[in-house]
Amino acid sequence: MATIGHNNLNAKLVLLGDMGAGKSSVVLRFVKGQFLEFQESTIGAAFFSQTLAVNDATVKFEIWDTAGQERYHSLAPMYYRGAAAAIIVYDITTQESFSRAKKWVQELQKQGNPNMVMALAGNKADLEEKRVVLAEEARTYAEENGLFFMETSAKTAKNVNEIFYEIAKKLPRAQAPQNPAGMVLVDRQGDAARASSCCS
Amino acid sequence: MEKKKIDEDGSGPSSPKPVDRFGFIKPESSNSPDNLKRSKSSGSEREKRRVQKWRKMIGVGGSDWKHYVRRKPLVVKRRIRKGIPDCLRGLVWQLISGSRDLLLMNPGVYEQLVIYETSASELDIIRDISRTFPSHVFFQQRHGPGQRSLYNVLKAYSVYDRDVGYVQGMGFIAGLLLLYMSEEDAFWLLVALLKGAVHAPMEGLYLSGLPLVQQYLFQFDLLVKEYLPKLGEHFSQEVINPSMYASQWFITVFSYSFPFHLALRIWDVFLYEGVKVVFRVGLALLKSCHDDLVKLPFEKLIHALRNFPEEVMDPDTLLPLAYSIKISKPLEELKLEYEKVHGKEGQSIIARGKQKQVLERNGSSSRNSKRAEKQKGESIKSPETILLKKVSLRRHFSHRKAEHDKLDGPVAQPVQELKRRDSQLMSRHATS
Repeated sequence: MATIGHNNLNAKLVLLGDMGAGKSSVVLRFVKGQFLEFQESTIGAAFFSQTLAVNDATVKFEIWDTAGQERYHSLAPMYYRGAAAAIIVYDITTQESFSRAKKWVQELQKQGNPNMVMALAGNKADLEEKRVVLAEEARTYAEENGLFFMETSAKTAKNVNEIFYEIAKKLPRAQAPQNPAGMVLVDRQGDAARASSCCS
Repeated sequence: MEKKKIDEDGSGPSSPKPVDRFGFIKPESSNSPDNLKRSKSSGSEREKRRVQKWRKMIGVGGSDWKHYVRRKPLVVKRRIRKGIPDCLRGLVWQLISGSRDLLLMNPGVYEQLVIYETSASELDIIRDISRTFPSHVFFQQRHGPGQRSLYNVLKAYSVYDRDVGYVQGMGFIAGLLLLYMSEEDAFWLLVALLKGAVHAPMEGLYLSGLPLVQQYLFQFDLLVKEYLPKLGEHFSQEVINPSMYASQWFITVFSYSFPFHLALRIWDVFLYEGVKVVFRVGLALLKSCHDDLVKLPFEKLIHALRNFPEEVMDPDTLLPLAYSIKISKPLEELKLEYEKVHGKEGQSIIARGKQKQVLERNGSSSRNSKRAEKQKGESIKSPETILLKKVSLRRHFSHRKAEHDKLDGPVAQPVQELKRRDSQLMSRHATS
C-alpha cells in the first residue's frame, strides 16, 4: 500500500497476466534497464524495487512479479492484496493473454483494494506484424473499466518507464502536510491490510 | 564438445562462451565455486576409488543394486549423502527413484504418448521451453536436441496425467533430469516422483490449487517458528511468509535459480530419502544466515532470501548442517494439523482419496517395504500400481489419434511441426 513520508511515497505494485506475456521482462526493463530474449519463467513470485522521481516527490515501487500460469492463481491474492497499484500485462500477439488480462481486471475489481491504480499493458508492441489484439479494442476496454492503457515493449523499452511514471502520478497522496485528511486515513487502512495479510 | 555444438549452429554466439563443468554458460568474470572446487579436490585418486566403490555397489547395469540396498541400507544412505559420482548419477537416480522398474514394465508407452497423443498443454509448454535453463548450452539452442527432449518429456507427462497436465516449474525438474539421462528415462523418473513410486507422491505440488505447496509452506512456516524462533518472529514483524521465498524450493526441488552443483547434491538425497531433505536444506539455509537475516528490513530480507552467499551454498557445509536438523516427527504432526484445518475441503484430500482407492485395489506392495512402513501416513504406490494407468491410456489412444489428425489451422501448425520433429527424434531414439 502507498505510505507517505515527507515527499516520499512507498507503493506496493503487483504485475499480473498470462504466462509469457512479459511481466518479468517489463520489470527487468524498468528496474535494471535490461532485456533478455529468453527470460527464465517465474516460479512462485519475485520481488523488485525501484524509485521514481515525480515532480517534487519520489515514489518507491515495491514490485511483486508473479507466475503467470492459471495453476498459480491460488498464490496471487497474497501479492495483490493491499497493493496500491497493479499492471495487468497481456501479449498483443495472443488473444488468450488478453482474455486472461480481463479476468485479472475482474478479479481485482472484486477482491483488490478499491483505490488501486490499475494499468493495462499491451506488451510486445514491437511485434507489430504478429499483432492480433488491436490497440483500440484494448483502449476501449480499459476506459470502460477505469484502467489506463498503454502498449509497451520490454524489448525496445517503449512506454515501460512511462507506464510506471503514469502510475506514480495517479497514486493517491496527501495534498499537503498541513492538510493531512482523507487520503492519509486511506493509507493507514492499507497498512493494516498489509499487516493482516501475513497470516493467510 | 558442448562448445562445438554452439559453433555448428548458426544462431549461436559467434565465439563460444566458456561453460562451467555442468554446461551452464559462465557469467562474465565469474569465480564460480567450480574453480575453487577443482583446486581443492585435486585428490583425483580418491575420486577414482569412490567411483570404483560405487560401481561395485551397482553391478553391471544396476544388477547388484537392489541386493546391496537390502543388505547395507545405511552404507547406501551414507554414500548417497556424500554425493553420487557424477558419471553414475543418472543411472543411480533411476535405480533409487524406482523409475527403472517403471520403464521396464511399460515398454513402448512413452513413444506412444509422444507421437500419437495431443495435449491441451502443448502451447503452454512451447511458451516455456526456451525459458527453461536458458543459460545452459543443451537447452539454449532454439529447437535443438535439448529443447526437443524437454518438450517431449513435458508433453508426454501432460498426456499421461491430464489432471496435472503441464505446470510451470516442472520444466526445471525435467531439464535437470535430461542432463543425466535419456528423455524416456527422464519421463519415467518424473512419473515415479509425481505418482509416488517410492516416496509420497508429488503430484499435489502441481494439481489445481497447488494443495501440496500450500501444505508444505504451512509446515515450513511453523518449522521456522519452532527451530529459529527469533527469525520466525522477525519474519512476522516484517510480514514475510515462506510463500515469498520458499515456494520454488518445493515446486522445483531447488532446481530453479539455485547453484547447480548444490541442486544435484540435494537431488541425490531427495530421491533416496524423500521431500524431508527440502525442508532440512531450507532450514539449514536460514540457520546459516540467521544472524544477518534477523537484522534486515523487509526489502533487504527478501533479497537475502533469494540470494544466499556462495559460502553458505557449499554442499559440504550446508548439507551436514541440514542432516543435523531432525524434523521427521514435527513434520508429520504439522501435516496432521494442516489436514485438520484445510483437509476437509482441500483439493489435497481429493487427490489423496484417489490414490488411496488405487492403493486398496492393488495392495501396497512397495518396492522398499521397510521404508514404506516407516512412512506410514504417506500413501505409497508401487510400480505395479502405476502400471495400471497404461491400460486406460491404451483405451483412448485410437480415439485421441483421430482427434489429433483433425487438428489443423494456425494454432496447430507449430505443434505439428514440433510433432514431426518429435517423431524423427523418436525413430532415431528407437534405432540407437
